[in-house]
Amino acid sequence: METTHTHRLNLLWLKSNPISPRLAIAAGLVALFVAVPLIYIFIRALGAEPEAWQRLFQTRIWKLLGNTLVLVIAVTSGTLLTGVSMAWFTERTDMPGRKFFRWMLALPLAVPAYIGGIVHLALLRPRGGYIPQVLESIFGQPVPTPSPIGFWGAAFILTLFTYPYVYLLSAAAFRSLHASLEEAARTFGRSPFQTLFQVTLPALRPGLAAGALLVALDILAEYGTVALLRYETFSSAIFVQLSGRYDRSAASILSGILVALAILILWSELRLQGQARYTQMESNWRPAPPVMLGKWHIPALLLVTCVVSASLLLPVIVLTVWSLQAFLDPKTLTTVFHIGSQGFGSYVWNSLWSSGLAALMAVIFSLPVALLSVRYPNWFTRFISRFCQVGYAIPGVVIALSLVLLVNRLLPFLYATPFVVVIAYVLRHMPQAVRASESALNQLSPSLEEAARTLGRTSFQTFAQVTLPLILPGLMAGGSLVFLTSLKELPATLLLRPAGFDTLAVRVWMWATEGFYSQAAPVALLLVLASAFPLYFLLRREQIFK
Amino acid sequence: MSKTKISFIIILMMIMVSACGAAPAVTEAPLVEVSGDLVIYSGRTEPLLQPVIDVFKAKYPNVEVLLKAGSNSELANALLEEQANPQADVFITTELFTVQSLAQDGIFQSYPPVGADQLPAEFLGTDNLWTGLTRRARVIIYNADLVSQDELPTSIFDLTDQKWKGQIAAAGSTNGSMQAQIAAMWQLIGEAETEAWLNGLIVNDVTFFGGHTDVRKAVGSGEFKLGLVNHYYYYLQKAEGSNVGIIFPDQGEGQIGLITNATAAAVVNGAPHLSAAQAFLDFLVSPEGQKLFAEQNYEYPLLPGVEVHGDVQRLEGFRFADVDVVEAAQDFEVTFDLMEKVALP
Repeated sequence: METTHTHRLNLLWLKSNPISPRLAIAAGLVALFVAVPLIYIFIRALGAEPEAWQRLFQTRIWKLLGNTLVLVIAVTSGTLLTGVSMAWFTERTDMPGRKFFRWMLALPLAVPAYIGGIVHLALLRPRGGYIPQVLESIFGQPVPTPSPIGFWGAAFILTLFTYPYVYLLSAAAFRSLHASLEEAARTFGRSPFQTLFQVTLPALRPGLAAGALLVALDILAEYGTVALLRYETFSSAIFVQLSGRYDRSAASILSGILVALAILILWSELRLQGQARYTQMESNWRPAPPVMLGKWHIPALLLVTCVVSASLLLPVIVLTVWSLQAFLDPKTLTTVFHIGSQGFGSYVWNSLWSSGLAALMAVIFSLPVALLSVRYPNWFTRFISRFCQVGYAIPGVVIALSLVLLVNRLLPFLYATPFVVVIAYVLRHMPQAVRASESALNQLSPSLEEAARTLGRTSFQTFAQVTLPLILPGLMAGGSLVFLTSLKELPATLLLRPAGFDTLAVRVWMWATEGFYSQAAPVALLLVLASAFPLYFLLRREQIFK
Repeated sequence: MSKTKISFIIILMMIMVSACGAAPAVTEAPLVEVSGDLVIYSGRTEPLLQPVIDVFKAKYPNVEVLLKAGSNSELANALLEEQANPQADVFITTELFTVQSLAQDGIFQSYPPVGADQLPAEFLGTDNLWTGLTRRARVIIYNADLVSQDELPTSIFDLTDQKWKGQIAAAGSTNGSMQAQIAAMWQLIGEAETEAWLNGLIVNDVTFFGGHTDVRKAVGSGEFKLGLVNHYYYYLQKAEGSNVGIIFPDQGEGQIGLITNATAAAVVNGAPHLSAAQAFLDFLVSPEGQKLFAEQNYEYPLLPGVEVHGDVQRLEGFRFADVDVVEAAQDFEVTFDLMEKVALP
């Protein structure tokens, strides 16, 4: 209801305030900034030699397409199953420790999937992992254990570390669900089980779809985990092409196809998001009574504990043990503390400032776009806003490829500076900032701005003195999200970093892929901790943590 | 006559003496003078280069070493991309074909490091565009708990034998040493047989890792029985206490011989920090630098007079595969075509 009201006010505002040309130009420039790398990739892909297309179509593309899609479907289903069931336990049952488990189930977002993959690989690697070795020493003979390598491993690991997206969205949806909805179903004689499948879940659908598609885009772009677990997808194949021969056409073609695939998913996500309005909370909302688990308490607790252990506790414990090993071994310790002639402090600092700057830039860039699309809603401003969210669909490797080619040709003075890495972060994570800024502006009634204008403030003064202070918390949330995801970013950083510019993520990756786990561990632990802070701030804003 | 002759000799000797006196002065002067950054692109992995950088850094405390490690071809791509806008000072590779083909593209500048004239000629680039550092051999590592002496393979072609199916680990198509092995085989046995060998590996379910550290650790832990690696990975794994063995393959009559390659360093054309780059190359070729590679990483130093590590099997007496570097560098591109064709992971 609130939304329609604001929308009407926006239209009124529009009548009395024609679009400011400066604002339109600023938003247009931001859209251009986002568009250039994308368009460049398509031009390169289409301009590639027909033989290159032919060679790829004959050999790689179908297998890559199959691999990628199967993984996307498997992980999306896995996260839906895990996320929704976990949300049901913490929001709709009387399971003990719900408040504690809410945090535990959301915090895996601070663990990058590739770090989770490193830990699980070390534990479960067939024959060589800790678990198979312990089992062998107990039973005196090799005991078959599930392997984390290949398709099933990649699907398992990625599910474990991306389900919190779905968990958070579905927990919020469970929370806002109207009690009367289910009561009505029960009154009509539906069993609780039927109610869940016929009423509750369908009502959650918009939230679930948004979460699932977010996961799907994430998996399309995933590099570290699939490379580690040796499952070839488009992203990892592009990375191999880029670090292979000096021929950008194959990489461009694969990138073009990958981006087209991602845009397709993004487009359906945006369509669903547009229809997702009816989950708005109403004033007579009251929570549905929790389901009494009774004798099912123990199994429920066990199940939730298993998920929390695999996705949060186990990685943190293993990293802590490895870190202790590193600190006890002076040789490893000295290695951790310097690379080239750079020290530990330098890559911690690099991570913080590059992600921080990216967050600041993304938020600033998102403002004109959000102002335009919220205050002057029409097809064109909506298009610009949608367009600025295309970064979701451009995986890190593709952004890296396009920036390497573009910056060196057009802006050679920027080439091989850390700023290229920052630009990649901004491009990739801008959608998060745009969405946050739009939702912050949507909650602000334009009548406040109207009043300021009536009192003789210029449009800029109004923005600086009225709008900005009021939307600042929302902008901070967007910035935190960009900061968090930039901190974890791997492929673009690996490809674009200048010599001597290491980040926490790069260090973890370089050491862990060489098998030096105890060196990688303290850095990984620090990365998880550094991610936990902005995540904590973000989660505090969520309804379920209030 | 004889007087002029004698005075000539005296003058000559004086020049030589002064030259000898001057030579150390020239090499020692930069110790204090060289400062600023040194940007190194290295195809050698960090752990295999860091000890050398540490000692260099101790000698030149005013030099800030900025290292970017990756695969040879990834960094070669970067160097080509940056040709008009050079960023790196020194490039280090794990095989000779990449440096040779980049040298032909004009990426490097000529620099003979002090002492390079003592290196075997085959490990020096034309016009001193690159300098070889250490030699390494392609060998098979095996887990001695899992493989008995009488069933050991003797040739890299045994790796396609059905009886090893699923039991072999190797490095994949992004690894420089593996690329170089394929390029060498292309020259030795031709395209068709190389392709057949690669397909044989794939059919035999060989597991391809990104690098050799994974391979040696996996063989050491018993995850695989055999691994195709560079020789020093065997010694590194043995030093960690694993019961592993080493096979120097293809020594029989009619077999292709032991495939070896060398690491190399080159100064980038337009290097922003030239004096630091030259000092670094001098250090890599110096007895001190060579000894570090030999002692810390079990490689074969190229500088005569520097001993290999006491545990390392000496190369004398082996039959070597005869590979022409210049020719292999020219064919390097087709190696990538082949890897793509067979879809080597």
